[in-house]
Amino acid sequence: MSDAPRLAPTAAPALSETVKARIFIVIAAYNEAACIAEVVRDALTAVPNVVVVDDGSADDTTNQARAGGATVLTHLVNRGQGAALQTGITYALQHGAEYVVTFDADGQHDINDLPALIAPIARGEVDICLGSRFLVAGSNVPTMRRIVLGAAVLFTRLTSQIKLTDAHNGYRALSRRAAQRIDLQLDRMAHASEIIDQVRASGLPYCEVPVRIRYTDYSMKKGQKSSAALRVAFDYLVGKVLR
Amino acid sequence: MNAFQSVSLGVFVALAAATISAGLRGYARKRIVVFWLLVWGGGATAIVWPRSTMLAAHALGIGRGADLLLYLSVLSTLVGFFYIYTRFRRLDRQITMLVRRLAITNAQVPDHGVTASPPLPLADSAPPSS
Repeated sequence: MSDAPRLAPTAAPALSETVKARIFIVIAAYNEAACIAEVVRDALTAVPNVVVVDDGSADDTTNQARAGGATVLTHLVNRGQGAALQTGITYALQHGAEYVVTFDADGQHDINDLPALIAPIARGEVDICLGSRFLVAGSNVPTMRRIVLGAAVLFTRLTSQIKLTDAHNGYRALSRRAAQRIDLQLDRMAHASEIIDQVRASGLPYCEVPVRIRYTDYSMKKGQKSSAALRVAFDYLVGKVLR
Repeated sequence: MNAFQSVSLGVFVALAAATISAGLRGYARKRIVVFWLLVWGGGATAIVWPRSTMLAAHALGIGRGADLLLYLSVLSTLVGFFYIYTRFRRLDRQITMLVRRLAITNAQVPDHGVTASPPLPLADSAPPSS
């Protein structure tokens, strides 16, 4: 078992235009009409390609995402976040993405952290860069979240033999090569562990980078309830046994 | 033969007839037909000749025939659940693939377009679109 290499929270240099043009931000959205347009507009200030996968939302998510300027892929029926991310990743690869970034739809991630996630990949040091909210000094993670996420980190250590500080952060950057090797089969939330497994199995180098998380009332309400953690663990373990 | 035995036997005979007919018309494979005929035959035997379950139980080291039936039914229920569960998972995955393909085929691209490059041949990550 080895520690994931951590990068010091240095200010990453601004990304060059050629790199930016090859970044695809993939956002899986389920009933996020309230804020998706703003999240997309925000992301578009940093990169030209933002792909929203509307995972069978009952609300106006598709139109809002389009109003924000995103490319929108619509799942006709809800298939879960893992499935939605895979759809977006597949699309991005088909359209020439050199970097694929996964990003949450509820506005909890900060687009200003993007250069820090991309830089290690652009420099050719790693293929996968995982965001970690716990590497940020003075982060404002609520206590209950801290406990559940701590358990998730431990769980990941036991099942995947990878030591991460934050096992379930939706903010990640993948090189094209890494994205091609990721094939998410677990449709629901267990994909977070699945990605880590596949990262390890791929043998590609990875690292963790500090990212800020904004815990707003909205993101706490929309986010996973802490009690859902057991189901996530169950999904994941069943997925490991039954291929 | 009491009333319960007559009715049950009738049911088993009907089931066996249906199974054979399905086999003859090619709806079920031979192995499956044989399996179900054994199940119906076993059931009919146990109904018509109740002592048979006891003899079978004793042969297996179980005290009572009723216990043997209980164990068998629990076991077959579990096997059945497992079978259905794996089928369900496979179906789930197939639906996801279908939904994904539809979503990608019908992508709604904004006016400014996807700027990185024109679509690549689909070979490298997704199955080819038809």
